[in-house]
Amino acid sequence: MQDSSILNTFIAMMDRIGLNYEFLATGYEATIWRDGFITTLYLIALLIPVSLVAGLVFAACLTSGRPFLSAPVRGFVEITRNTPTLVQLMFSFLVLNTFVSNLVGGAQNNPLTPFFWVVAVVGLHIAALHAEAMRAGIEAVPSSMVEAARGMGFSQWQILRHVELPLAFRASLPAIVNNLINLVKLTTVGNAIAVSEITYASIMVWTQRDNVVSLMIVILVFFSAINIVVARLGIWVERKLAVPGYGL
Amino acid sequence: MTATTMTSGPKKQHLTRSLAFVALPLVILIWALTDLSLGRTLVEWIPYLASGFMMNILISLLAMTFGTVIGAIFGILELAPYRLVRYPVVAYVQIFRNAPHLVLIFATTYIFPFEIVIAGNYLPFPDWVKAVIGLAIPASAYVAEITRGAIQSIPTTQWEAAQGLGFSRWQALRYIILPQCVRRSLPPWMNLFSSITMATALASLVGVHELLHAATDASTAVRRIDFTIIAYIVVMAAFFALCYPISRLTRRLERRFNAA
Repeated sequence: MQDSSILNTFIAMMDRIGLNYEFLATGYEATIWRDGFITTLYLIALLIPVSLVAGLVFAACLTSGRPFLSAPVRGFVEITRNTPTLVQLMFSFLVLNTFVSNLVGGAQNNPLTPFFWVVAVVGLHIAALHAEAMRAGIEAVPSSMVEAARGMGFSQWQILRHVELPLAFRASLPAIVNNLINLVKLTTVGNAIAVSEITYASIMVWTQRDNVVSLMIVILVFFSAINIVVARLGIWVERKLAVPGYGL
Repeated sequence: MTATTMTSGPKKQHLTRSLAFVALPLVILIWALTDLSLGRTLVEWIPYLASGFMMNILISLLAMTFGTVIGAIFGILELAPYRLVRYPVVAYVQIFRNAPHLVLIFATTYIFPFEIVIAGNYLPFPDWVKAVIGLAIPASAYVAEITRGAIQSIPTTQWEAAQGLGFSRWQALRYIILPQCVRRSLPPWMNLFSSITMATALASLVGVHELLHAATDASTAVRRIDFTIIAYIVVMAAFFALCYPISRLTRRLERRFNAA
């Protein structure tokens, strides 16, 4: 009761300055919209770890010095960085998804949803960007340190795990945070294959209500807020991990 | 590891780089030649796809032109000594830099009318122009940040030296600071250019006839799974052919500027 009266005053107030939020008082459209926000947040929460882990694997392959590992990854990274994510998404969804469907015998058996494809494509796209950042970080680790570790009997893997990655991660953190902000923005391409994230949900609402400006303001504020949080978290992690005297 | 890349590195890298330029077109060519009926269909559709790609290039060039002009002005205003000027510009940059490109394209497409009335004449306001505006907005926000960063990266002593030589603040900016900024901001500007070029594909979602849209049209008209695959590979190859040289050049410039 209390809630709905606050909501109604809000709607009335916004109406006075020319913004239309009437749909919030209806059950159905308000639910669609709220679920849109939740889906976007869920996508972001899922994509950040996925992209970081995949990026780490790519970076390890790129710097391994073994051509059979680094060449395919390098090819993948270059193609991913230089073609639009939307095209990759359409390609995956229309072509790879059809292959999977044929493989399991019909689209009804296909376990892969549009949601999966958004996570896979956007996750790997950002992972390619992470990999580039981490590779630069790994290559920036002074060679004397790597040689010292090798002299102490560290294996290649141990050098990567205990010497290169801890320093490389700190050095590449600003670039990684930048990529994560891109990631937040890229979740909107899910719209193209009917993943009901916030832009898709908003289209559903504004085709009925014709209140594009009102919804747009909320969406812009929403994305700004998420990105400010991501950037702040990045700065916080950077400070937490800073090595005194190392300049990182 | 370092030793082996040192010795055989440069030559091998050069080879893989040149391979990267032709890899995708080569895949398309070989496939089209092994399956001639597919090749013929593809050749029939190439002009249609090319007309779509022209639209991508047009949108990205216009968006970058407007974005650069407006962004450079905003970048200078971001450093203005008056809060009244600075705060609105900083807010504009923060909001539109953080906004997804797709959302801005939707915004311009749905908010602007489909025709404008100037002195009783109805002028059409086509979707592709709205996409140009939708991409020019984030481009301008990015260019503003690039410009601001470049201006701030110039040592303060240069401002002081200019002042000592009798330059006004504006003259110092115009004749001493900005020319140096052009050089420093070139690599990030080129990164932005390639990212805006790739973002033009998003215009297909609001019905602009560009490459991705053309490929979708073609694949629904032909209705062959192998044609669909090759059409999308053509789309990727086209964007790659445009963006990969830009990114190579950017990396080379970055390395040269870092060395200098």
